[in-house]
Amino acid sequence: MGEVALTDEQQAALVSLVVRGMARGQATQAQQELADAGLILVKGPVLMPTPAGTELVGSLLRLPDDAPERERIMATFHRFLPVNRQLRDLCTAWQVRPDGSANDHSDENYDADIRDRLDDIDDAVGPLLKRFAEDIPSMGAYRPRLTEALANLDEGDDAWLASPLIDSYHTVWMHLHQELLLTIGMSRKEDEELEERLVAGGGA
Amino acid sequence: MTEWAAPVDDVGLVPFGRGFERGLDARSLCTRGVQLETLAGLGLPVGAGLTIPVPNVPGFTSPDRAKAAMNLLETISGRQISSTTDTGGLVLLRLSASAPVEAAGLPPDLVCLGLKRSVIPDGLGARARTSLGAAWWKAASFIAEHALGVPGDELGMLDIDHPDPVERIEPFKRLCEEHGSAPFPTKRSQQVAAGAQAMIERWNSPRAARARRKQNLPADLPLALHLETVIVTEHDDEGHGYATSRNAETGAFEPNGRFRHGFRLSGERQLEGHPLDALPGGVEMLTGVLAELEGRLGSVVTVDFEFGPDGLALVGLEEQRRPSARVATSLAVDLVIRGINDEQRAVASTDPVHVVELLHPQPRLSGDEVALVSGLGASPGAAVGRIALDSETAVEMAERGDPVILVMSETTPGDLPGMMAAAGILTANGGSASHAAVVARGMGRPAICGASGLRMDTQARTLAAGTHVLSEGDVISIDGASGVAYVGELTIARPSPSPSLTTLLSWADDGRRLGVRANADNAVDATAAVDNGAEGIGLCRTEHMFLGDRLPFVRAVLLSHDGDAEERALAELARAQREDFRELLAAIGDRPVTVRLLDAPMHEFLPTSADELDDEHQARMLEHLHEENPMLGVRGVRLALMHEGLYPAQVEGLFQAWVDVVSADEGRPQLEVMVPLVSIPDELVMTLRLIRRVNQEVSSRTGMLIPFSIGTMVETPRAALMADRLAQWAEFLSFGTNDLTQLTYGFSRDDVERRMLGTYLEKGLLTASPFAELDPDGVGALIETAVARGRSVRPDIKLGICGEHGGDPSSIALCERLGLDYVSASPSRIPVARLAAAHARTGRSPAEAVS
Repeated sequence: MGEVALTDEQQAALVSLVVRGMARGQATQAQQELADAGLILVKGPVLMPTPAGTELVGSLLRLPDDAPERERIMATFHRFLPVNRQLRDLCTAWQVRPDGSANDHSDENYDADIRDRLDDIDDAVGPLLKRFAEDIPSMGAYRPRLTEALANLDEGDDAWLASPLIDSYHTVWMHLHQELLLTIGMSRKEDEELEERLVAGGGA
Repeated sequence: MTEWAAPVDDVGLVPFGRGFERGLDARSLCTRGVQLETLAGLGLPVGAGLTIPVPNVPGFTSPDRAKAAMNLLETISGRQISSTTDTGGLVLLRLSASAPVEAAGLPPDLVCLGLKRSVIPDGLGARARTSLGAAWWKAASFIAEHALGVPGDELGMLDIDHPDPVERIEPFKRLCEEHGSAPFPTKRSQQVAAGAQAMIERWNSPRAARARRKQNLPADLPLALHLETVIVTEHDDEGHGYATSRNAETGAFEPNGRFRHGFRLSGERQLEGHPLDALPGGVEMLTGVLAELEGRLGSVVTVDFEFGPDGLALVGLEEQRRPSARVATSLAVDLVIRGINDEQRAVASTDPVHVVELLHPQPRLSGDEVALVSGLGASPGAAVGRIALDSETAVEMAERGDPVILVMSETTPGDLPGMMAAAGILTANGGSASHAAVVARGMGRPAICGASGLRMDTQARTLAAGTHVLSEGDVISIDGASGVAYVGELTIARPSPSPSLTTLLSWADDGRRLGVRANADNAVDATAAVDNGAEGIGLCRTEHMFLGDRLPFVRAVLLSHDGDAEERALAELARAQREDFRELLAAIGDRPVTVRLLDAPMHEFLPTSADELDDEHQARMLEHLHEENPMLGVRGVRLALMHEGLYPAQVEGLFQAWVDVVSADEGRPQLEVMVPLVSIPDELVMTLRLIRRVNQEVSSRTGMLIPFSIGTMVETPRAALMADRLAQWAEFLSFGTNDLTQLTYGFSRDDVERRMLGTYLEKGLLTASPFAELDPDGVGALIETAVARGRSVRPDIKLGICGEHGGDPSSIALCERLGLDYVSASPSRIPVARLAAAHARTGRSPAEAVS
C-alpha cells in the first residue's frame, strides 16, 4: 500500500469511513476520489470501505511496536476497557430489562437510573480521553461528539443513547474504541479477551 | 419540604426495624428504612444499622451528630468501629441514602468510611486490602468532589496515574489541600459528616435534579440516610449476595441468586458470583423468607443478604415492580393456590397487554428439526434466511430479495450495512453486551451471540458446527429467545399459552360476560383461535377466496357480456367456495361462524393493464367500471345487487360445505351469514331473499335442513341509525368499527395515519388513534344508539364487534359498557381479549388490583 499517496482530506475521509464502517448519502469529493482509487465502495446511497481501504487505514493508524508512547497508551487502554464494559452493559440494560424482556421505556424510574449511571461512565471516560489525546491527537474529537449525543439524549430523544443508525452515545463510543484498536493494532477478539481478564480482576 | 417532613419533631436516630413503632413512615424513613421495617416486622434477621430520618439529615453534617450515630451503632451491633473481628475482619461504616419513593439519581453508597487517618491497616489479607482500597477510593473521591469541591477530572487523572489505590492516598490528600475547600478529614466522625454533606450536595446537583425530572418526581424530594457496619474480610464464611424468589425463565417459585465472599463494595447488586446452592449454611432459610415475603407483599421479591459466623442477616428488599409476563402469571396463580389471593383478583392483577409478550412468534418445533448450534439468545424474535458470511455478501443477497442470516465470528461497526440488510444475526463470539447484540436489539433484529460451536471458513465460504457443514447461501433458522439455530427453514408461529396462563384465562372466562370470538378466514387460523379459547368465529372474510386462481372467474362475472360465461364462472366459484368453507367449518366444530359475504372494493379484482384483457368489450367495461373512490363505491352488498349471482354462489358453497361437514360427522357449525356495507334496510331484505332461495335449493337437493341466521355489518352511520329497521330482518348486528370510524370521522384511514395522526396526537387533538382505540364519544354514541334501537325491535338480537378493536383492552371495556354480546379479535389476541373482557366486567384494572 506504500504507493498510495493520499491528501490530508482524503486520508481523513477514509479513516472516518473505516472507523464508522459505513456512511449514507451523496459521496463528497474526497470520498469519490477514494472510490475511484478502489478504497471505497459506493452502493447506491451507502458508502463502505473496500478491504484495501480498510487495510490502508490500518497501516496508517497503527503505532509501530517500538513507538515510545505505546506503553503509555496501553496503560490507559487497560483503564479504558473496564469502562467500556460498563458502557456495553449499560446499553444492554437500556435495551433489555434484567428479566430478559425488551425495555419498552415506559418505566421512568428504570430509564432515569440508566441515564444517571451514564453520567458515571461519561465522568470516567473524560480523563481517559484527555490522556489518550496527549499521544493520539484525533482522540480529542470524541469528547465533544459524546457530549453532543448526551445533549441530544437529554432533549428527550431516547435514540441518542444506543441507536446504531445515528451518532448516538454508543455509536460514537464504538468509533472511538475502533480507532483505538486500529491504533494499537489489536484485533477485536484479543480486545474482548483482554477486557474479560481486566473485568474479572486478573490483570493483563 | 413540608410535604415530606416527618410528623415528629425530633425522631433522633432510628435503629433498623424500630421506625414504625415510633410512628414513622416512608416520608421520613424512606424506601430503605421501610424495607428494613418490613423485614424486621416479619421477625426476620436484619443487619445492624440505623436510619437518619428525613428531618434530621441536615443536622447530620455536623461531626457531633455523626459521632452520636457511630456510638449508637456500636451499641446496636456490639462491635467497635475500626476494631478487628475474631475472624480478622475490620469493622467499618457504610453510609447510604434513599428517598421516600423509589428514585433514580440517588448518591452512591459510601463504603468503608471510618478508616483511621485514611490508612489501610497492614493486618488485612491481600484480597481484602485491594477491595478496601477500591471502596475507600470511591468514597473518598466522592467526598472530595462533592463536599470539598475538588474537580472530578483532577480526581480522574489521579486515578489513571496511580493504578494502585494504596499509592493514590498521599497524592489524593495533597490534591484536596490544593484544590479543595478543606483538607480531607482525618477524624472518623468528620469523614461520616463530610460523607453526608457530599450526598446532600450531589442530591441537589443538576444531575440528580434531571433524574427526578425524568421520573416526574418533585424537585424537593428529600433524602434519608442509613448508617451500617461493614466488615472488611476475606474469610470464606463471610460474604454477601442476593436471592430472587422466582425463576425468570419459567416463572416458577425457585429461589435463585448469587453470593460472593468478602464485603459489598457498592449498593448495586453484583450479579456475578457463586450459585446459592453452594451457600454456607444452605438456602432453606432464604427459601422460607422469600415464600413468606411473596405471600405478604403479593409480588416477586429479591432480598440482599450478608452472612458470617453469626448467621444470615437481611440488608435489602426489593419488590419487582414489573415482572415478566411469565413470572407474573405464575405468581398470580400460585398466590391463589396458596389461598392468599382469590381468582378474580388474580385475573385483575394480570395486564392483558403484557400477556401478548408470552405469545411472541417463535419457531414451531416438531422434534424433527435439526439443531445447528446454540448460543446466547441475545435479541428476541425468530428469523429464517440464507447464510451470509460477511457484511458485503449479506447486502448483496438482501438486494436480490433473499432473507439473510448474517453469520460472523463477531461484528464491528464496519458490519453495520450487513446487519441492517439481515433478517437475523448469529455470532460465534461475544455475549449479551457485545456489539452484535446491542446493535441487533437496537434494530429489532433477532440475534444469537456467542455460539462458540461455530467455525467459519471464509475462504471456502462454509460454516461448520458439530457434524454439520453448511455453505454460504444455505437456509438456516434462528431463535433469538432460546439461542438455538437450526438447519433449514422452520415455521415461525406463535406459541400456545403456558399452563399458568391457561389457568388464569379459565378464571377470566368465569368472570366475564362478553363473548370472545376470532377473526379467521381459513382452517389454520380457526384452529389457532379455538386453541386460544375463542368461542367461535366472529368474522370470516371471504375476499381472499376470490384471488389467485379464482380471479379469472370473478373477472368473468364482472366483465362478461355473455350470460352463459357468467353462469359457468359462478358455478366454478360456488365449487371453489365449497372447498374453502369445508375445511374452515370442520375446524370450528359446533361453534358459531359468522361468514361475511364479499366486501372488497371492485378494483381489487379488476385487471390493471390492457395485457390482461381478453377483448375490446372488456376494455370498454373496465373503463366503465373505473371508480374515483372505490372504498365508497360499488362494494359489499352494492356489488352483490349489481351482480345478483355473486352472493348466491357464495352461500351455495357455504351451505354445501355445511352439509359435507355434518354428513361426515365433523361437527355442526352454527352458520351466521353476514351482509356487508348495508345502509338501506331494503338492501338487506333483497339479499335475504336471494340467500333463502339458495338455502331451500340446497336443502331440497341434499335432503337436509340447513339452519342459518342472517345479520348485517354496521359500518355506516346510517346503518347504525337505522338499526331498528335492520333488526326487523337481522338476527344479529356486527359493528365493523374500522369503516364505522372512517365514516364517522370522515377519515380515510391510510391517508390520515400516514400524514396527520402523528401531528394530531402531538397537538393533543386526539389522545389515541381512533383506529387502535375505539372512540367512545362519537363512534361509541352511534353504537349505543344502534344497540338501543336494535333491541327495541328484537330484544334478543345478538350484537358484537369485529375488526382490530376487538383485541384492544380499552375498546373491549367500551363494548362492555355498551352492552354488546361479544367481541371478535385476531386469533393471537384472543387471550388478551379474554382477560380484558374479565377486567371490563369487574371494572378493575391491573393497577387498581395491586394497590
